[in-house]
Amino acid sequence: MENKSLGEFEELVLLAVCIMDGEAYGVAVKKEVEKHSGRSILLGAVHITLYRLQDKGLLRSEMGGNTDKRGDRRKRLFRITAAGMKQLRAVQDVRKKMWNLIPQLKFVL
Amino acid sequence: MMPSGNKRNTPKVADWLLSKFISENLLEEFYGDLLEIYDGRISTRGRVYANMMYWIDILHLIFGFASFKTFKRQNNPFVMHKHYLIVSIRNLAQTKLYSFVNILSLAIGMGAALTIFQYIYFELSYDKMHDNLENIYRISIDKIQPKGDPYPYPYETGYAVGVAAKSEIPEIDQYVRLHKYSGGATISNSDQNKTFSEDALDILFVDKPFLKVFYFPLKLGKAESAFNDKFSIVITEQMAQKYFGSENPMGKILTVSGGVSPGSYTVTGILDPLPLNSHLQFNFLLPLENYMEYGWGGAATKNDDGWSSPDITTYITIEKSADIDLVNKKLNVLINKYRNEKNLHEGIIEKASLQPVGEIHLKSDPDVDQGLVRNNGNSLDITFFFIIAFFIVIIAWVNYINLSTARSIHRAKEVGVRKSVGALRKQLISQFLTEAIVVNSISACLAIGIAALALPFVNDIIQKEFDFTLVELPMFWIGYTTFIILGSLLSGFFPAFILSSFKPISMIGGYKLPKPGTFSLRSGLLTFQFLISLFLISATYLVYKQITFMKSQELGMDIEQILVLKGPEVNLDRSNLESVLEAFRKKIADHHSILAVAASSSVPGKGYNTGLGIRKLGDPADADKFGRVVFSGFGLPEAYNLEFLAGKSPVQDRSDLSPVPVVINEEAVHTFGLSTPENAIQEQLFFKGDTFKIAGVVRNFHWHSLADAHTPYLLEFYGDCRSYFSIKMNLSNTQESLTHIESVYNSFFPGNAFEYFFLEDEFNRQYQSDVQFGNLFFLFTVLAIFIASVGLFALVSYSATLRIKEIGVRKILGASTSSLMILLSKEYLRLLMFASIFAIPAVLFWGNSWLNNYAFKTGFSAELFIFPLGILTGISLSTVGYRALRAARTNPVDSLRTD
Repeated sequence: MENKSLGEFEELVLLAVCIMDGEAYGVAVKKEVEKHSGRSILLGAVHITLYRLQDKGLLRSEMGGNTDKRGDRRKRLFRITAAGMKQLRAVQDVRKKMWNLIPQLKFVL
Repeated sequence: MMPSGNKRNTPKVADWLLSKFISENLLEEFYGDLLEIYDGRISTRGRVYANMMYWIDILHLIFGFASFKTFKRQNNPFVMHKHYLIVSIRNLAQTKLYSFVNILSLAIGMGAALTIFQYIYFELSYDKMHDNLENIYRISIDKIQPKGDPYPYPYETGYAVGVAAKSEIPEIDQYVRLHKYSGGATISNSDQNKTFSEDALDILFVDKPFLKVFYFPLKLGKAESAFNDKFSIVITEQMAQKYFGSENPMGKILTVSGGVSPGSYTVTGILDPLPLNSHLQFNFLLPLENYMEYGWGGAATKNDDGWSSPDITTYITIEKSADIDLVNKKLNVLINKYRNEKNLHEGIIEKASLQPVGEIHLKSDPDVDQGLVRNNGNSLDITFFFIIAFFIVIIAWVNYINLSTARSIHRAKEVGVRKSVGALRKQLISQFLTEAIVVNSISACLAIGIAALALPFVNDIIQKEFDFTLVELPMFWIGYTTFIILGSLLSGFFPAFILSSFKPISMIGGYKLPKPGTFSLRSGLLTFQFLISLFLISATYLVYKQITFMKSQELGMDIEQILVLKGPEVNLDRSNLESVLEAFRKKIADHHSILAVAASSSVPGKGYNTGLGIRKLGDPADADKFGRVVFSGFGLPEAYNLEFLAGKSPVQDRSDLSPVPVVINEEAVHTFGLSTPENAIQEQLFFKGDTFKIAGVVRNFHWHSLADAHTPYLLEFYGDCRSYFSIKMNLSNTQESLTHIESVYNSFFPGNAFEYFFLEDEFNRQYQSDVQFGNLFFLFTVLAIFIASVGLFALVSYSATLRIKEIGVRKILGASTSSLMILLSKEYLRLLMFASIFAIPAVLFWGNSWLNNYAFKTGFSAELFIFPLGILTGISLSTVGYRALRAARTNPVDSLRTD
């Protein structure tokens, strides 16, 4: 499992779940990712990714509270697992290492 | 808590669809999320957007999470269908060559049909973009002279009829008159020093409501006020690019020189690129009021109170509720009221009719419209193409049937085993139908690709520009799917019934198939395919032969070695024009390579200047016969080497120019009743309210393509002709001659565009549409031959399979490979001969009627049939030969040992 690499969108979704800390469900994740990345995302894409991450063992989920807003239906709340956190850190480390290797960042200016 | 209000009405069908595909434990959460988003979207973007996105989300979720409950069932029918599908695909994979030929021929057939349908769709879409389409009409007024020729241009209504009709017929809302910028113009943007010459038909004078009646949206500017000023000009986006580059043209000045109404025009609007499927095509629009006031120095509208001034086309819009027949009647009453007296006097009957704008494209004649209707279509072509498309698809399906039954022997064992194990006939039929659906679906997908690839070529051949827009229509997909399902059933049923009818015992116990009949349905179909191929090859050959014939015919004048120079339009000293032009001609001719120079207002292949009623001086007014007049400069008959039968070419001598001299052709001598050429030069002609003296008579010449019969031509001589200069020259050093001509031209007429062409090329361009027609036929021919070859291949495979034992026995008894090949092939050659018996009269019949479009036509000859027959025989023999050779070469042991 752990060797499975994280796609760019998967990473965004995973980060969004972390940010929301227990309040993450489909629509909320969609909004969070849209807010930060500035692109518009289909609900289905979020759901597919959430379930794929859960299958990989990076997320776990439970059914949560129901509201009138949702027509009296419960939401599925996602949380990150230890494995998920580890994977996310690993990605971040790789990036950091590589960023540090860029000489002076001159040409980025 | 219950959902509150009607805000929560999510699309029910979508919900239901989701519930069918998504497992229960996911549904609750999804519905919740969807509803939350749906509400958010309704409040921000509105219900329509929310509904649309709801559907998209639902479909997306289905694709992402579907567990396909329907397909996961493990009951018998489902397992069987899955099995059919697997067996079908395995079968296709097993016999790769058959599958390839089968799918390819179907795909090409369907692709061709799709291309044709796209073409038909495009042709039918002409002018359908106008909002008020069904209430816009074009006025046509037929002028019938009981004794003379009818006036040939019914759409030239004069400018008065629109005005009178609007004020006196309450049902008529608006009128729009159109007038082309006669004489053509040179347009320049002096700020950027850009000067181009523009064709008369690209510049139109229009009435103010033009942009409101017709849907030509403006990119910049306002439709209401675009023509408020008499010197305003509206241009298309392309022209804005051409004259102004990246600059904003609004409010800038374009200088128009030459032609009807030269002057400085202010740009008041930029049009979006015009739709290709519009019969009106133009680059510049000017207000018609300008033409009325300033045209030809104010002389434009004086003719006949505006009831017969030439070249004005009138469109009207009527009220939605109006009865069109009644409006038409009222229009006739109106015309009668204004015109009766004059018409009675001249013996003319005028009759108005109204043509709906939507019909103009397919029901108009380029000769009659004088070019205002662009890219004329033809409803006959549409029908013709529809029939061809229909036949192509039918033949492709027939091939499928033939190929599948040809493979029956390979399937016989399978059928036998299935039946023995207890398969019902119904199930076997399902199996074969599934195969048909698979093959048809694959072909249908390929066909779309083929059509998309073929369209640019077809566009090239027929010189149109249309895209594959059919795929954007939902109706098309519904139709296409229905068509494929129907086609699968049609083409699948025959093989399905044949194959499923085999008796199991005979199937397993040895190949005892029905004996091949002497003349079966299959050979009938093949004969039909041969017939079509033969017909198309002959027809293509005939079309090309006619084109070659027309190009090689003597024209009665020399157009070789003639370079035509377009005349100057701007910076002209009009007071002294005649002598400047004469000096210019002399200067051009003053070079060793130049043989002759003459000016004229038109050149061969470019049309004539006016066509009108002409009579011998002294004949009664109603004896007018139609004749074509070309304004010609002195020396033109010499430059074109016209042969004089009587009289001589007039010379430029100012004392002898009244009445104006004309040179006429033989046809004119007969038409105007002048008995002989010698007699004719004693007579005078009367037209345009003036008399003309006949200076000479020349042998008939082809000013137009050979499709036209000889008509009376009059060369009317003027000293100040300058639209075209025909320069006859020695082509040994073209570059040097051109340099000479250009330097002389630039020194005489600075600031004018230097444009030229070779007369022979221009003249042959008249045959372009014939060449296109020929190319199209060629394409169909290749297609038909390909499809027929596939059919032939299928049939010969079938019969080779049926006779495999016979061949084995013959081989054992000592038959040679070649004799076996003859045995297998001769049957098809017989069919081919049989087909040619029918093809010859069909070609004769069609060829005769097609050649009737041409006044000068090539004859039929034996090679017209021998040549196609040769080609088809060659192709058939190689198709049959390949299969026959394989059959003849098989080891008899292989085919005989199973018994």
